[in-house]
Amino acid sequence: MTCESFRARFHKDTEDAELLAHVRECDACLDHAANLDADIIFRAIGGEIVPPGGVDAFVDDVMRQVRLRDAETSLAQHRVLSWPRRLAVAATLIAGITGALLVNRVERTQPHQFGPVQRAALRHLTTKPVVETYASEKATIVEVPAEQAAGDVQIVMIFDENLPADL
Amino acid sequence: MKLKNAVVLALTFLLLATSAMAEPSDAGKKLLARTFAFKHKEADKAAAIIKPLMSAEGTINLQPSTNSFVVTDRPENMKSISSAIAQYDVAPRQFRIVVRIVAASRVAAENVPKIDEELKEVAANLTALRFNAFEDLGERTIEAKEGETGRFQLETGYSANFQIGEYDPSSDSVKVSDFVLSKVQGSAQQTDVAPLLKTTLNLKLGRMVILGASKVPDSQRALMIVVVAQR
Repeated sequence: MTCESFRARFHKDTEDAELLAHVRECDACLDHAANLDADIIFRAIGGEIVPPGGVDAFVDDVMRQVRLRDAETSLAQHRVLSWPRRLAVAATLIAGITGALLVNRVERTQPHQFGPVQRAALRHLTTKPVVETYASEKATIVEVPAEQAAGDVQIVMIFDENLPADL
Repeated sequence: MKLKNAVVLALTFLLLATSAMAEPSDAGKKLLARTFAFKHKEADKAAAIIKPLMSAEGTINLQPSTNSFVVTDRPENMKSISSAIAQYDVAPRQFRIVVRIVAASRVAAENVPKIDEELKEVAANLTALRFNAFEDLGERTIEAKEGETGRFQLETGYSANFQIGEYDPSSDSVKVSDFVLSKVQGSAQQTDVAPLLKTTLNLKLGRMVILGASKVPDSQRALMIVVVAQR
């Protein structure tokens, strides 16, 4: 069959054995026919394709491979975290540690409320010794505890051998 | 999408937490410097006044030629320092010093005299010191400004002179320097003023101070100087 007669006789969905045989031998006509009817290639091949061992064995083998791949993927996902998950875990850990440090710092700095300002205020309330100087070095000066005084009174006793008896 | 949001939230929190941790240490290192020039008081005395208000990092750089100093300290301390200096560097203030001399003694229970009305407060404080008899030897009120001298003399022979020192705002007290208590001694023909004691006192304003003096702790008699300083 010539290429001219093939192209004259060819039509879509043809099952003509001569035409199919020509397609198997002539690439130019195969291209021409495939443009008009894409399935011509499969019809031209002809016959039934049966995998080695039969269709069922082939299907079983394919499904086994699929299950095996699924299992591998599942295990891989458990073992290896993706980068966003790793980042999230790292950030959470750091945030947790930071939070713990902050809490610890706040607890430790509770006395810091007795910081410079508060210490200054406490010092402001402290009083100087009532007796700053006394002429005699032999004297003993005793400040009586405030609990023994009634009201806002400060009692200070000076015991001095140099004092006259008839004060 | 949820995972992305979680990552963004976690990172934001991390950034905030890091900055929050860094802030106190930076603030802790921050010091302020301020110059104080004095008009009424001496800078070196003012330095002693504010020293208790300063932190460990604080410094004072005295400049005697200009009667001033530069204070470097934490901002929070600078407030109390400025306030104390503002109270300190003012024109001499007037104070009222009320002095009462009381003779306290221990007598037998059957001989305890009735306590005068004006001595009841003093007596209430002195009973703990084993004294049970009190004699009022006189009271005087002296008004004087900072730096001025005060003196008084009582009919009972006691006299005193002293100098009003500076007011210390950090302890709300005024200094009474060189308080010398004397007593007239001798016979009618020849009298002599003998100083009994000399001291410098810090008197907190409004607080009664009872300054007792005796030879030994178990003396049966003591002289009590009751002093109150008021504005």
